[in-house]
Amino acid sequence: MAADDDENPKPGSNYITQSELRSEFSHHDPTIARINNGSFGCCPATIIAAQQRHHLLLLRQPDYYHAKLLKPSILHSRRLIQTLINADRVDEISIVDNATTAAAVVLQHTTSSFSLSSTFRPGDAALILHYAYGAVKKSVQAYITRAGGHVIEVHLPFPVKSASEIVLEFRKALRTGKSNGRKIRLAVIDHITSMPCVIIPVKELVQICRNEGVDTIFIDGAHAIGNLPIDVKSIGADFYTSNLHKWLFCPPSAAFLYSKQTSDELMDAATAWMGTRDYSAQLVLPEVIEFVNRFEGGISGIMKRNHDKVVEMGEMLAGAWGSELGAPPEMCASLAMVGLPICLGVKSDLDALKLRRHLRECFKVEVPIYYRAPLEGEVDDSVTTGYVRISHQVYNVVDDYYRLRDAVIKLVEVGFTCALLSK
Amino acid sequence: MAAALPHHNGTTITAAAQNPTPEPKPITPSELRSEFSHHDPTIARINNGSFGCCPATIIAAQRRHQLLFLRQPDDYYFNTLKPSVLRTRLLIQTLINADHVDEISVVDNATTAAAIVLQHTTWSFFSSAFLPGDAVIMLHHAYGAVKKSAHAYISRAGGHVIEVHLPFPINSPSEIISEFRKTLQIGKSNGRIIRLAIIDHITSMPSVIIPVKELVTICRDEGIARIFVDGAHAIGNIDINVKEIGADFYTSNLHKWLFCPPSAAFLYCKKSDDDELSDDLHHPVVSHDYGKGLPTESAWTGTRDYSAQMVLSEVMTEFVSRFENGIEGIMGRNHEKVVEIAEMLVASWGTEMGAPPEMCSSMAMVGMPTCLGIRSDFDALNLRKHLRECFKVEVPIYYREVHDDCSTTGYARISHQVYNVVEDYYRFRDAVNKLVEDGFTCARLDLQK
Repeated sequence: MAADDDENPKPGSNYITQSELRSEFSHHDPTIARINNGSFGCCPATIIAAQQRHHLLLLRQPDYYHAKLLKPSILHSRRLIQTLINADRVDEISIVDNATTAAAVVLQHTTSSFSLSSTFRPGDAALILHYAYGAVKKSVQAYITRAGGHVIEVHLPFPVKSASEIVLEFRKALRTGKSNGRKIRLAVIDHITSMPCVIIPVKELVQICRNEGVDTIFIDGAHAIGNLPIDVKSIGADFYTSNLHKWLFCPPSAAFLYSKQTSDELMDAATAWMGTRDYSAQLVLPEVIEFVNRFEGGISGIMKRNHDKVVEMGEMLAGAWGSELGAPPEMCASLAMVGLPICLGVKSDLDALKLRRHLRECFKVEVPIYYRAPLEGEVDDSVTTGYVRISHQVYNVVDDYYRLRDAVIKLVEVGFTCALLSK
Repeated sequence: MAAALPHHNGTTITAAAQNPTPEPKPITPSELRSEFSHHDPTIARINNGSFGCCPATIIAAQRRHQLLFLRQPDDYYFNTLKPSVLRTRLLIQTLINADHVDEISVVDNATTAAAIVLQHTTWSFFSSAFLPGDAVIMLHHAYGAVKKSAHAYISRAGGHVIEVHLPFPINSPSEIISEFRKTLQIGKSNGRIIRLAIIDHITSMPSVIIPVKELVTICRDEGIARIFVDGAHAIGNIDINVKEIGADFYTSNLHKWLFCPPSAAFLYCKKSDDDELSDDLHHPVVSHDYGKGLPTESAWTGTRDYSAQMVLSEVMTEFVSRFENGIEGIMGRNHEKVVEIAEMLVASWGTEMGAPPEMCSSMAMVGMPTCLGIRSDFDALNLRKHLRECFKVEVPIYYREVHDDCSTTGYARISHQVYNVVEDYYRFRDAVNKLVEDGFTCARLDLQK
């Protein structure tokens, strides 16, 4: 993160007040304890208004807008992102709709839907984490498997005690994957996995990949920007993507794709199928920077406080439920995995989904639930199989988490199990 | 799904059943002005063809959908999103006379729709269902982004792209049919197999209505397996009957002539007995619903603002229905008006239209005086900018290469949509007459740099 004076508020300046903060998010459903910033993010009223101004500017005179205003506005956003992630050149940054789209662009490029001069050959491999985001896994299937590629999934432990467990497993899986003389063309590594949610030591994993001769490394940092500091040069990957609408207050939807070596081919691939659209969500970064600077410490301050709070809330919940966090605090960003009481009987992905819906409909608590299948050798009823993924963003209040705590305690008290939920 | 009445006041039985409100009051001129009061009032906006328009009522509807999502996105995602996009798909099905709603996917724009079809073709090359040298045939005047896509997907997969050069100016659809047939014959002459035809319904520049029904028949007769009609401009502009047209794929933008905000489009894929085809179409952005069919894949391509895709229902019931004879009436009047105005302009300038009225939609190509000296695409662009900046007229200009000094080289593509008034076109007429009076030429614009 650049420590640029223009981007951090001066001490003693007018920080946002509690009442202004509530006002910024007054469009959120006030009856819901919204503990899931991780899925869809949030957008303050000030930014919504900025987006609508851009939108009206487009509708007012679209030809002029496209001819004169659009490119400079996008360039401005790209420059801001370049600074935020410590990229060398602004032409390394493109803005796309979301990380899912970025993944499609990278995968198309790798398997060269567009060029027969690619080096990708049937039998070559791509490596992903077993915990890779579902949509990305499907993208890998759609592009790599279909092109005759082999997919290596790296199984990482969860719950996990330290980053070194991840490094170890990754190194092992990579060696095994290469063992038949297979060429690994692409590694897709999450910066922060989605479910279960942990920070992955990407810098170390990238280094391992380089040492083992992996051609291309793509970091899926969908959750990352606004959640933890990103330094793409230090991480050293070939591609990096993150959503701006999850933790960086942009409206749905916008993401950046950083490519260390831009190529015409990549850009042709990216533009060939996108066409014109409403770009307004991509254009409000200047207003977002203004917004975050109304908080003490700017975006750094926000990230730190979110992290501290979510760990505190996680420990509060684990204490109340007699359970544990799925990962240590240093592997949590602004999200944390908290074990659910075993007696709730979360025994499948479907159970997790149903319990989530039950919490939403009966307790007005919005929080995603992860089902962790017992490993071989684990005794079924003594192992935690359900985790909530709690988020903390600037609009959250402690009461949100008390409501979750009390809802779960109530479920335990009445002898609830997932088996009781109808199909 | 109830059978649909043919375009009765622009609403369908389904919509009426869902919204049992009394007949909407006809829109007054003052209300109409109000609906488009967000347009720059200083500009004569004669270019609906490029970016379309969106009435205030629909902008408000879009905002409502946006806020619904922001309010509780998880709930919206699980409970509201898919039913809302289904409503849009059902409306489109009715508007274009498709058999099944499964044949309709909603995407961002016609360019994405084209990419879906082209990507499918690329996989056919990859799997050797198609062989190197097999061809795709398209119009030379196909939209730039689609041409670029075709070359990106097809040429690089080893396929050959054949472009059909169509005459312009043109006197009748039979000239197009004749050229198309000729080029097709030549294209096939070395035993080459043509796998896919991409045919515009209304070309963009120069803009004319293409006789797609006849061309599709020719393609079928010549054994072309897949036919894709790019009707980017078509919906809300001319009638679309996909069953009658008979193509395998059809796309059109909802934000150009059907009052949706930027941006939304549909891709129609005819259900075929060939399961391999319909099961194998995929959206380029792969997400959770991969493999569940294109309509489902397209309904979720990651977190997006889908609101532009959600407001077609409001377009039909809260806006279009306030016009006499609904969308049919709007289309008819736009066409009549644009032809009348084109004839006014060519009379004033001493030029000609580029195509006869029956080949004009709600757009017309009007010859620019030759003395203006439009000698390149660059000149056309500069002149357009000059008209925008000095005369406050927004109209795209097409450059046509000729080999003599007296043929018309520049054509303005004028559009007429419900917000246009006759003064818009008078201003354009007078601007051009002034340029002619002043002895203006495009060469002069270059010197000013």
